[in-house]
Amino acid sequence: MNDVMGLIFANIYDSSLGSLTQKRTQASLPYGGRYRQIDFPLSNMSDAGIRHIGIVTQYNFQSLMNHVGSGEEWDLKLADCGLEFITPYSMGASNDFRGKLDAIYTARKSHLKRAKEEYVVLADATVVCSIDLKEVINTHIRSGKDVTVVVKRGVADGKRQLDLAVRTDREGEVTDLTADYAAPEDYLASMGIFVIRKDFLIQSAEECVARNRFRFEREFILQDWLDGKLSVGAFEFHNVALFNESPEEFFFNNLALIRRVVRHDLFREGLTIYTRIRDQVPCYYGENSEINDCIVADGCVLNGAASNSVLFRGVKISNGASVKNCVVMANSEIGIGAQLEYCILDKDVKVKAGTKIIGTMEHPTIVNRGEVV
Amino acid sequence: MNFQKKHCVAMLLAGGQGSRLLVLTENTAKPAVPFGGKYRIIDFPLSNCVNSGIDTVGILTQYQPLELNEYIGNGQPWGLNRSHGGVQILPPYVRSKKSEWYRGTANAIYQNIPFIERYDPDYVLVLSGDHIYRMDYAKMIRFHKQQDSDVTIAVRRVPMEEASRFGIMNTNPDGSIYEFEEKPKHPKSDQASMGIYVFKWSILKKFLVEDEEDPDSDNDFGKNVIPAILNAGHKLYAYNFEGYWKDVGTIASLWEANMDLLDPEPKFDLYGDGRATIFARNYALPASYIDSHSKSINCLIAEGCEIYGSLRHSVVSTGCTVSKDSVIEDSVIMPNVFIEGGVIIRNAIVGENCVIRSGAVIGGAFRQDEERQIAVIGKDHTIEINQVVKPGEVI
Repeated sequence: MNDVMGLIFANIYDSSLGSLTQKRTQASLPYGGRYRQIDFPLSNMSDAGIRHIGIVTQYNFQSLMNHVGSGEEWDLKLADCGLEFITPYSMGASNDFRGKLDAIYTARKSHLKRAKEEYVVLADATVVCSIDLKEVINTHIRSGKDVTVVVKRGVADGKRQLDLAVRTDREGEVTDLTADYAAPEDYLASMGIFVIRKDFLIQSAEECVARNRFRFEREFILQDWLDGKLSVGAFEFHNVALFNESPEEFFFNNLALIRRVVRHDLFREGLTIYTRIRDQVPCYYGENSEINDCIVADGCVLNGAASNSVLFRGVKISNGASVKNCVVMANSEIGIGAQLEYCILDKDVKVKAGTKIIGTMEHPTIVNRGEVV
Repeated sequence: MNFQKKHCVAMLLAGGQGSRLLVLTENTAKPAVPFGGKYRIIDFPLSNCVNSGIDTVGILTQYQPLELNEYIGNGQPWGLNRSHGGVQILPPYVRSKKSEWYRGTANAIYQNIPFIERYDPDYVLVLSGDHIYRMDYAKMIRFHKQQDSDVTIAVRRVPMEEASRFGIMNTNPDGSIYEFEEKPKHPKSDQASMGIYVFKWSILKKFLVEDEEDPDSDNDFGKNVIPAILNAGHKLYAYNFEGYWKDVGTIASLWEANMDLLDPEPKFDLYGDGRATIFARNYALPASYIDSHSKSINCLIAEGCEIYGSLRHSVVSTGCTVSKDSVIEDSVIMPNVFIEGGVIIRNAIVGENCVIRSGAVIGGAFRQDEERQIAVIGKDHTIEINQVVKPGEVI
């Protein structure tokens, strides 16, 4: 896939994730014990042989840059292109990106036009999935459509607001498009992954921004399709796709990994999810540990009990502590006899001995990064 | 090319065949044998170098080097992918006049004098690739400089009754060595050499050349070079090391060293104080899954595992599956082993990529007063349904 470059948008749902994205981009939100959300689009692209990837981000990107580094873990540390960060002020823009189109427009000269690739795959970091992008790209090229969007059935329910949803006929041809709408069940939700010819993308961005249209889905895809100027193909994805657009979804989707079908789908043979290496010791399970149905990363020291939980790297659970239905992020420590249920502990939290925090499945209690409770 | 001077260059001897590790080193050099769930033996001396500020390391290989070469790669996992220095694999090679294998530890370094000279070092640190320990070599080098020593040899105290199994340093009260005895029948001291040497490069070079010219020499550090330097009247000092150290050259010691990582107060704490990290090449594997049917007690389990069975006092390495109703006790499971249901493994080492079919029984339990015999399954084996591998059996 030498003729395809990738663009990943890192900040799309920051505002809907509350305190979880207070000091990080949505893309750098931890997932599944050892990952960040961006690991999924980045690895999917790398697995497809894409070797030139731009990460579009505009604020809170320190943790993202730390995580991605030179892109070495994704085989993107290359002499000529590799990995680039695309930020508004680094290119002389005088304002924030007003939408994906604005970002593409701003980066068109510095990054896109210079790039030798013919196609672009665009992706958000909101949907966790393992997808064979080669298949998507080849389908797109064969179809002759202007743009192909990857869609998922079963997400639209008439309640959930979707950036972009499509309805297709039996042959898979798009018969309707909606934007920012709680589309009914017979619509397929966009997974935020698009394939498009690079020159066409640049030209479209220029034309849209010239008319104050900045929003990719609504003001480019939907509008040009309605005006008959754009042909849109839908690629239906049949594997697991987890939409992380709210703290509740984030919680639910982390715990989903405990289900074998989800775990074995996201980490299936042939597609590898890479992440930043941390040299941590294998997890130690103490004499009194009772660990049931948990996802456990390296570096944990478990002396207490945990069930139905995701334990990130370096989590410590002391004797007599009990952790149920929780997402515990890296290096958080749970003191002797503490009791946690339905909680999200952000990184570096210290739970004092005997503390009891009980949330609910619908509204897990969030303890912010570094807090001592 | 103009090479900048390096204060100290480390030479890591990784060429040993490791025949006492039996099937585990059939196709693998001893330093590349998996250890501690996610490491290989060589990670320990290599990480020690990095943590001691030594950034130029030559690894001398000759036996089954393929896996080791691949593992070391460009040295990136240890931060040794340097534009100047870094890690270099040094196999024997064909020279213009003659070509030959490494004939001994001293000859291996001798053949690589040109490599060392490129860095014009003051000191050369000689290490073994088959020891498990955490050590700050910088402290030892400081000691070497303070004493204005020509050769400093790290020693540790061993029980007097075992001293006849080691190379023993007999020292004066100031720590200077007056005699070196290889496996003495009647040891005079309990200070055993750890196979870690700091040399003044000028001295080492001189004696390597002389040793090479001696047709009767075995070209071995302990046997030939150290005694020769001592006899010539140079200053040799013993450097006392008090931490954990283990030669993992036998099945029993490899098993023991793995067990030493367990317990609430382990004999060797991999976590350390958080500063001297042991680095390893990491593979892209998801976090482990521990099922509700599993019961894991006093275990180390690395990432990429799926555990449905019960584990006690064991080390389970990256990428292993232990299915329901299987029991593993007092054992070391190396990377990517697949264990089906109803399997019992006790006092065993199971090599990389093995498949253990359901109902198999490997090894057995021992009473406190019995001598433990460790069953060993070599790399890439399949143990069939209900197959029995006896205690101490090697496959």
